[in-house]
Amino acid sequence: MFHHTPFRYAALVLLASGALFQAFTAQYFGLEILTEILILAMLVLALDMVAGFGGMVSLCHGALMGVGAYGYAVLSTTAGLTPPVAMAAAVGITAGISWVIGAICSRSHGIYFIMATLAFGQMAYSYVFEAPIFGGDDGLGGIERLDLSFIGVDLNDTRTFALFCLVTLAAMYGLAVMILRSGLGRSFSGVMHNEQRMRALGLTVWRIKADVFGLSGMIAGVAGVLAAQHIMYISPGLMAWTVSGEALVVVILGGLGTLVGPLVGAAVFVVLKHELSSLTTYWHLIVGVILIGVVMSRANGIFGFIENSFAARSKTTEINPKAMEVTKDA
Amino acid sequence: MLETRNLDKSFGAVHVTRDVSLKLERGERRVILGPNGAGKTTLFNQLVGELTPDSGTVNLAGEDVTALPVAKRARQGLSRSYQKNTLFDGLTVEENLGLAAAIHTGNATTLWSDSLGKAEVREIVKDVANQVDLMPFLHAKVSQISYGVRRQLEVGVALATRPLVLLMDEPTSGVGPEMAKGFHDLLNNLPRDLTLLIIEHDMDLAFDVADTITVLNYGEVVFDGLPDAARGSDLLKEIYLGSWEDA
Repeated sequence: MFHHTPFRYAALVLLASGALFQAFTAQYFGLEILTEILILAMLVLALDMVAGFGGMVSLCHGALMGVGAYGYAVLSTTAGLTPPVAMAAAVGITAGISWVIGAICSRSHGIYFIMATLAFGQMAYSYVFEAPIFGGDDGLGGIERLDLSFIGVDLNDTRTFALFCLVTLAAMYGLAVMILRSGLGRSFSGVMHNEQRMRALGLTVWRIKADVFGLSGMIAGVAGVLAAQHIMYISPGLMAWTVSGEALVVVILGGLGTLVGPLVGAAVFVVLKHELSSLTTYWHLIVGVILIGVVMSRANGIFGFIENSFAARSKTTEINPKAMEVTKDA
Repeated sequence: MLETRNLDKSFGAVHVTRDVSLKLERGERRVILGPNGAGKTTLFNQLVGELTPDSGTVNLAGEDVTALPVAKRARQGLSRSYQKNTLFDGLTVEENLGLAAAIHTGNATTLWSDSLGKAEVREIVKDVANQVDLMPFLHAKVSQISYGVRRQLEVGVALATRPLVLLMDEPTSGVGPEMAKGFHDLLNNLPRDLTLLIIEHDMDLAFDVADTITVLNYGEVVFDGLPDAARGSDLLKEIYLGSWEDA
């Protein structure tokens, strides 16, 4: 069940401060990396909501992000809608599609759920890859960013766009917290702990799963809209299953079921990717080794490891403050 | 309040319940006895909708609920506890009760507020915790409480939905004699208008709590009557009570 500890609040403040510092001080390349981190963080936040708090390990969240991106691109370019309307419509469409996927897959569990979501993701990828309206394998270009000039904000400026992504991520994080703390979120967590009992108590389980999956897809859709506006060009690669797989890696790397952990995971993953890929083309191998280490340590990701170490240290200090003093002196 | 007519269920060649008809009045406390494999739990599963009968009907408060799924029957007032603890293991006792109370009060699907913080949910949690002696354990996780307390919680979670009819599958299963005695008091202190249907092997508890007794053998009702009549029944002694009488 979702609870925000003081340690997690502190971690959030630290992460936000780091992002703000980067947003105000970094040059072009640093800002691009920051924006990439923030958009990935939004996607993995959506995935952690369903995988970490409801046991719905989805392999279609990359595709859902793609639905948001393509939805916005087509509606704002081909259909000629204004960017705000296109954004709202794309996010709504993604939420609706996610709800349907959640409802259909809600009766399956474990590996079968993973495979069912993978199938949905691959269907979406194949369709976009072939359909002329989506530009086929050439993708779609000429995507405009949201126009906020009426309030004096120019999102075509790299720094401003990074800050816009940060504000949106904060809003999505707040939304995720609200959902997980609501009656719906509590019931969702209850279903993960004991689906049979929740049903026996009178809960319509499939509906709860579908609702939260839909809301999670909505957040993935927002990430997609921002991804499309960031690069101003999208291709079917955005919907490939490897994007979903990578998102799952990031969630596990950061800390499944912590909500804060995946944000840490996104930062670590993107920085590692850029730093290591400049050193070797085999950077995936190094990330793989790190992931294996994290999984084998059974510490629930990087954030879980830090949180557990901090909790253990606090407990030791609480139990025997004198012993800590001796250790410190030594 | 709860009525079954001619419930029949087979698994392949094995006939598990045969033509079972029961009628429980409001507030009645009935204990179902029977040796292992008599079909008691299978009957429960058909009553709550976890199994579909091959034929026969289940009526709850005058309405035919045979075709209704588990969740809908529960919302209409049919709640159960399980023979093996079926709890929310990673959560606290308070959260376990709160999840059930939230469903009953209609707060389980709201997006705008925390169901566990709602006044009506907290009131039910407190009330049920008092009824089943869980107040000292409210903030403990299920993994931190003893087996006996978990059995109390098992009943508490079912009670938190404020049912019309509560089905209890061996509530004292696995607990010691001391704790079992505590369950007698617990069950006797439940609201008198709550209809209880209990599967139990503890004869002392059965005769202490029951208004009526039904005995199943090979899936058939072989006795249906008052506890005193059950004590004197030669048939019961032969199929089930012999060991108790001899003990």
